Amino acid sequence: MKFDTIIIGGGLSGLTAGIESARAGRRTAIVTAGQSALHFWSGSFEFLCEQDSREVIERPLERAARLDPSHPYRRIGIERTERLLGRVQPMLAEAGITVNGSLGRNHYRLTPMGFAKPAWLTLDDYLAFDHPNEISGRQVCVVNIYSYLDFYPRYLETGLRKLGAAAMSREVNIPQLDVLRKSTTEMRATNISRFLRDDAVDALAREINRVSAGTDMVIMPAILGMFSDEPVKRLRRGVERPIYFVATTPASVPGVRCQLSLKALFNRLGGTYLAGDTVLKGDFEGTRLRRVYTENFGSIPLEADNFMIGSGSFFGHGLVATFDRIFEPVFGLDLNAGKSRTDWYDKDFYAPQPYMAYGVVTDDRFRPSRGGRTVENLYAAGALLSGFNALREGSGAGITLATALAAAEELTR
Amino acid sequence: MKNTQTDSDCRARADRAEDSRRPGAGTTPCKEYDVIVIGGGATGAGTARDCAMRGLKTILIERLDFTAGATGRNHGLLHSGARYAHTDPESAAECIKENMILRRIARHCVEDTGGLFVTLPEDSLDYQEQFVKDCAKAGISADVLDPKEALRLEPAVNPDLIGAVRVPDGSVDPFRLTTANVLSARMHGADILTYQEVVGFVRDGERIAGVRLRSNRDGSETNVYGRVTVNACGIWGHHVAELAGVRVNMYPAKGALLIFGHRVNNMVINRCRKPADADILVPGDTICVIGTTSTRIPFNEIDRMEVTPEEVDLLLREGIQLSPRLAVTRILRAYAGVRPLVAADNDPTGRSISRGIVCLDHAVRDGLEGFVTITGGKLMTYRLMAEEATDLVCRKLGVDRPCETAEVPLPGSEPDARPENRRQHIIELSTEQKAAEGRHGSWSGRIESKSDADDALVCECEQVSVAEVNYAIDELHVHNLINLRRRTRLGMGTCQGELCACRGAGLLERHDRCTQRTLSDLASFMNERWHGMFPVCWGETLVEAQFTSWLYQGVMGISGKLDTEENK
Amino acid sequence: MMTLQEQNLSDNNFESCIKCTICTIYCPVTAVNPDYPGPKQAGPDGERYRLKRPYFYDEALKYCLNCKRCEVACPNDVKIGDIIQAARIKYADTRPSLRDTMLCNTDFMGGVATRMAPVVNFTLGLKPVKFLMDKMLKIDRRRTFPKYSPVRFETWFRREAEEDQKRFDKFVSYFHGCYVNYNYPQLGKDLVKVLNALGWGVRLLNHERCCGVAKISNRCIDEATRDGENNLRAIREAVARGDEVLATSSTCCFTMRDEYPHLLHLDNADVRDHLLLATVFIFQLLDSGKAKIVFRDDYRKRVAYHAPCHMEKLGWTIFSTSLLRMIPGVEFIPLMSHCCGIAGTYGFKKEYYEYSQGIGQPLFRQILDSGCDFVACDCETCKWQIEMSTHVPVLNPISVLAEAIDVEATVASNK
Repeated sequence: MKFDTIIIGGGLSGLTAGIESARAGRRTAIVTAGQSALHFWSGSFEFLCEQDSREVIERPLERAARLDPSHPYRRIGIERTERLLGRVQPMLAEAGITVNGSLGRNHYRLTPMGFAKPAWLTLDDYLAFDHPNEISGRQVCVVNIYSYLDFYPRYLETGLRKLGAAAMSREVNIPQLDVLRKSTTEMRATNISRFLRDDAVDALAREINRVSAGTDMVIMPAILGMFSDEPVKRLRRGVERPIYFVATTPASVPGVRCQLSLKALFNRLGGTYLAGDTVLKGDFEGTRLRRVYTENFGSIPLEADNFMIGSGSFFGHGLVATFDRIFEPVFGLDLNAGKSRTDWYDKDFYAPQPYMAYGVVTDDRFRPSRGGRTVENLYAAGALLSGFNALREGSGAGITLATALAAAEELTR
Repeated sequence: MKNTQTDSDCRARADRAEDSRRPGAGTTPCKEYDVIVIGGGATGAGTARDCAMRGLKTILIERLDFTAGATGRNHGLLHSGARYAHTDPESAAECIKENMILRRIARHCVEDTGGLFVTLPEDSLDYQEQFVKDCAKAGISADVLDPKEALRLEPAVNPDLIGAVRVPDGSVDPFRLTTANVLSARMHGADILTYQEVVGFVRDGERIAGVRLRSNRDGSETNVYGRVTVNACGIWGHHVAELAGVRVNMYPAKGALLIFGHRVNNMVINRCRKPADADILVPGDTICVIGTTSTRIPFNEIDRMEVTPEEVDLLLREGIQLSPRLAVTRILRAYAGVRPLVAADNDPTGRSISRGIVCLDHAVRDGLEGFVTITGGKLMTYRLMAEEATDLVCRKLGVDRPCETAEVPLPGSEPDARPENRRQHIIELSTEQKAAEGRHGSWSGRIESKSDADDALVCECEQVSVAEVNYAIDELHVHNLINLRRRTRLGMGTCQGELCACRGAGLLERHDRCTQRTLSDLASFMNERWHGMFPVCWGETLVEAQFTSWLYQGVMGISGKLDTEENK
Repeated sequence: MMTLQEQNLSDNNFESCIKCTICTIYCPVTAVNPDYPGPKQAGPDGERYRLKRPYFYDEALKYCLNCKRCEVACPNDVKIGDIIQAARIKYADTRPSLRDTMLCNTDFMGGVATRMAPVVNFTLGLKPVKFLMDKMLKIDRRRTFPKYSPVRFETWFRREAEEDQKRFDKFVSYFHGCYVNYNYPQLGKDLVKVLNALGWGVRLLNHERCCGVAKISNRCIDEATRDGENNLRAIREAVARGDEVLATSSTCCFTMRDEYPHLLHLDNADVRDHLLLATVFIFQLLDSGKAKIVFRDDYRKRVAYHAPCHMEKLGWTIFSTSLLRMIPGVEFIPLMSHCCGIAGTYGFKKEYYEYSQGIGQPLFRQILDSGCDFVACDCETCKWQIEMSTHVPVLNPISVLAEAIDVEATVASNK
C-alpha cells in the first residue's frame, strides 16, 4: 500500500504532523500501537516552566532563547518555534478543542493535589489564572461526586486557601450514577463520563446549585464529555455560578476527547489511521527508508516517500530498555543513552532521572541516524528525541508540538 | 470559612480522634507495666502476645511500624527445616515443630504450598541421598520424587532436574502474622505504641526500671515504667542493649531478594545442595520471591540498605537455575533484609556465630536486673523465641502460668469462623472479598461494607477496597501509607502504588483531616516504592516508573520538597 | 546472561500491563453492564490472582464479548481479550449448556437445517416456537434467526461452478465458513463472480469445517480444537498447491489466524500469512496493478461502512474501505467504529440480550442518521444484528463489488 507520508505513532506528535500533512494534500497514514499518553492529559500543555529545579519561568519564550543551543527549541530556532506553535490553537480549535494561553507569559493551572503549576495552554473550561493571587478573596465551592476516589477536594481546598481563596468542599450524588457503584472499579472518570449526559447533566447541575449556594465559583473534577464536549456545555449552562474543571487522576476524560477529536480531524482531512498495529521493521535503500512492515499487514509493505517517527519515550515503547541495554526497536536508530544500567536512574525518585533525557540522535532537521548515517527521509518528533528532561523543565507538549510541526513542514515541502 | 490550617492543628485533632475511636490503638500509655517489649517485629509482637496471655500487664513499643525491620524483609518461607537438616539439626527440628504449630494457629497467614528440593545436573545426587537421611533424623517428611512427577507437580521447575524431594515447606506472610500477634496481645489487654523510639533507659541502681521514649512523629519524649524490659529488636537490639549499658555482640548480615510480578511457581523450590546464595524461590500471595544473598555489612548501613546491581545479577543468574521462567518474568522490585548474627558469649572474637535462639538474662550475664534480650533465631521460630523470653520474664516476676501460644489460634485463624457481613456478588464472593478473606482470615467479616461506596477498589492490583482501608485505619494501627501497605498489600502490586497511593492518601486524609501530612506521606511513599524499583528498572518496570513520574510530578505536581523523613 | 530479561513476556503479555486503564475506556460491555469487572480486572489483574488460586476465578468473565477492542486500545500490547477467554476455558467449572452446545455447533445445526430449510425458517419465525426456545433454551425470543438456505454453497459450487473454474490458470482457495454454506450462499457466489472476472479461479478447501469461533466462546474447546486441526490441514494442502486462502468473514479469518495459536494452542505460523480476507487479496491485486476492475456506470449508492470488532483487531478495515471507495458510484460514509453488540452467539442468549442491544445502540443511531442505502460490513453476525435492529440492509463488501462490477469490461481489461 502506497502513501506519500507514513507516520509511526498516533499520539500528539503523530496526529499533529498527520493533520498538517493531510491538510497539505499528502496521502498520509498513521500507524499506531494502542492509545497514547494523551489519555493522561492534565488539560494543559506546557512550553517551558522550570529550569535548574529552582527557577520558575514566567516568560517562557524569552527564556527559551537562553536555553542550551542543543535544546530542541534552539535547534528549531526561537522565531520559527514561535511561528510553528502559533498553529496549535487554530488546529485544536478546528478539532473542537478550545485552549487559552500564550507563549509570552505562563499562566497557572491547579493540579489535582491543589498546587499551582505554570502552563502554556489550558483547556477553556479548566481553572487557570494569570497570577497566583488572582482568585484571592473568592468563595470557592469544590464539588465532588459521592464515592469518586480520584479527586481530592480537601487537597484542593488547602491549595485554594494558599492562593488566598476561601474554599469549602461538598459532595453531590445523582441517581443516574448509582448503577456504576455496583461494580467495584466503575467509579472512574471515564466510566462516569459515559453516564453524565442529557438529563443526568441537568440533575447534576441542580445538585451543584444546591450545595454551592452563596459561593462565587465552583470547581469540580473533569469527568464530563469523553466523546463530545456537549455535556460540558450543558452543565455550564445549568450551573448558576462560573464552574471550572480540575484534572483527575487517569484516565483523563478531556485527554480521551482530545485524542479522539484530533483523530477525527485527521480522518476528515483524508488521513488513514491504522490503530492497534505495530511497525516491525523498515526496508532501507542506501540512506532512504522505502517501506515499513507491520504486524497486521504481514508481508504487505507500507510504502511512502517520507516518514515520521513519533513513537514516544519508554512509555510509548519508542525506546526499549532491557536488562543490559537501551535501543530503538523499529529501525535500530542511533541513541543518546546511558550505557550501563546504573547510569539510567537516580536513586531519588524526585531527582532528574537520566533516562528521561534519552532518545534518538538527529541532525538539525531532526532526522535520526542509523549506524552514524542520517536517514534522509525520516523525521523524528516528540518524546523520542534526546537531550532534554521534559518532565523536569515542563516542556513536553511544547517540544512535541514544535518538533511535530517542524517535521510536518519537511514532510510537505 | 476558616482560612488557615496548621499542621499541629490537624495532628492534635487526629490524636484526639484516635483516642476515642481506636480500641487500644495508640492510646496514651499508662505509666506502669509488668513488662515492656521493645520491637514490633514478629518476635516482639509474639512476646507481647505471650506475656499478655499469661496475664502480665504488657506494652509493645516499636520505633517505626510493625514489621519495618527484618520481619518484613525476608522470603516469607514457612520452612520445613529441611534446609537445615544437614548443617544444623537442632534448628531443623525447631523449624518443623513450629511449622506444624503455625499451620494450626496462623491458618490465614500460611499457605501449604509444599516444597521441592531439586537436584540439577551440576549437583550431586549423593547430597540428595544424605539430605533425605538427615530429614528423617530431624523428623521432616521427605519424599523422593521422580523428576517427571516433580515437573508435573510444579511445571515451573527447571526441566533439566535429575532429582527431587518433596518436603512440607510452605509460605508465611510475615505482615499478617505480626499483625495477628499484635491484635491478640491487644485483645489480652496489652497496650501498643508505634513510632516511639527507645532513646534511653530509666535505671534504678543495677535495675532497668523503664524506658525513655521519643516520638518519631512529633519528637515529644515520655517515660514508661516496667518491671522487666524485653529487647526484641533484632539487629537493632545491639544498639538498644548498648543504651542499657550491656553488650550483645551482633553482626548485621544483609540478604537481598527479588520480587517477581506474579506467581511463577506454586510450590516452594529449593536447590538440593549445601545452602548457598539465591537457592530458594517462594510463592507468596500474588507474587514470588527469589533469595537470598548473604553479606556482612557495617552497622551504619542497616537503616539504608539497597540492592546492588551485582546482587541483582547473582539472584537472577541463580534464580533461573531453579526456574527458567524467571528469565522472562517481570521483576517488580528488589529489597534487602538484615539478619542479626549473634556471636557466642564464650568467643570474644565474634567469629563463632550462634545459629539458634539466643535468650539472655542480663541479670545473670551482666548483673543488670529487669532486662532481657531475645535475638538470633528466625521468622519461623518467632513463637518459640517469644515463649522462651516470656518464660524468663515470668520466672523473674514469679508468675507461674503455662504458655498457650502454641494452641490458641491467632485472631483471624479461629476455627470454623466463616466471615459474615457479606454483600453478594453475582455468584459468590467478589475478587476483593476473596482477597480480603485471604489477608484477614475470619476477621475479614469485620470489614464493614455499609454501601456500594465502601466496595469500591482503592488498589486494583491487590484488590483492596475502601472498606478494607477503613478497617485497617480504624483497627490495625495505620498512620501512613506504608502502614497501610503492610496491613493490606495496597501498593504492593504490579503498579507499585501508581494508581492507588493517591487514593490511599485521600482516604487517610478523610480520617485525620491533615492535608499537609498526608500529602507529604504520599510523596515519601512514592520514593519508597522507587527505592525498590530502581535496582531492577528495565522493561515494563521502567515504563511503569516513567508513567508514575509523569503522573505524580507532572499531572499532580508533587515535588521532592514534600518528601520528608517522618513517613517511614 | 545475554538473553536474560531481554523480553519479560508472560503468557499473552499479561505482565506488560502497566495498569493505565485505557482498555476499560474502550470496552463496550462495561458501558452497559456493571456486573462485568471490565477488561483490566477480568484480564491482567484477575490473572495474577487466578495464578495464585483458581478460587479467584470470577464467573462474571462470561460477560466478555471477546471483541478485542481492549487489545486494540492497549498501549502495551497486552492480549487482554485472550487472557479473559483463556481463563474462561481454563477455570470455568460449569459445562456448556445444551443451548450453548446447539448454538455453537454450526456445522451440525446447519447440516440438518439446510435439508429442511423452508420448514426450519418458517418454524424459527413462529411466535410459539420463539416463546418455547426462550423459555426452555434461554434463546431470546426477540432475536431474529438468520434464514437457512435450501441449497448449500458447497452443493451449488460443485454443481454449477467447479467445472467452469478449470479455464483459469491461477487459483485461490476459498474458506466460505458456515454462514455462506448454510445461510447465505449468495456471498460465496459473489466472490466467485468477482474473482473470475479478475482472472482468478476459485477452489474449495479439502473439507473445511467451522472455524470454531462459536465453540471457543462457548468453551467447547475439544470440538473447536478438532475443527481447527482439520482446517489447518486443509489450509496447508491449499497453500502447498500455491493458493492463498481467502475468507469473506472477518471473524472466521481472525479466528483461524489469531485465536488458533492464542487460545487453542494450534501452531499456524507456517500458513498464517496465507490466510487472508478476500478484500485484502483483491485490493492487493488492484493496487499492485496485477489486475484491473471496471465498474458499471449506472451503479449509484450511499454506503455506510461498519468496521466489525475483529476487523479492527485484524487492522484490515483499510482494505475493505479502499475497495468500496474505488467504486465511482459509491458515496462513502464512514461510521465511527463501535461494537454492534452481537458477538456471534452472545446476543442470542436471553441473559445477554439487553446488554447486546445496549452495546449496539450508538452504532444503530449512527446508521439510522446516516441516510445510507445500505451498510457494508465484513461480518455476518454484525449483519444479523444491524438488520434486525435498524432494518437497514447489510452487504458484505464483496457483494457490493459483485453488484457494482462491470464483468465484461473487467474481463476484457484483464485479458
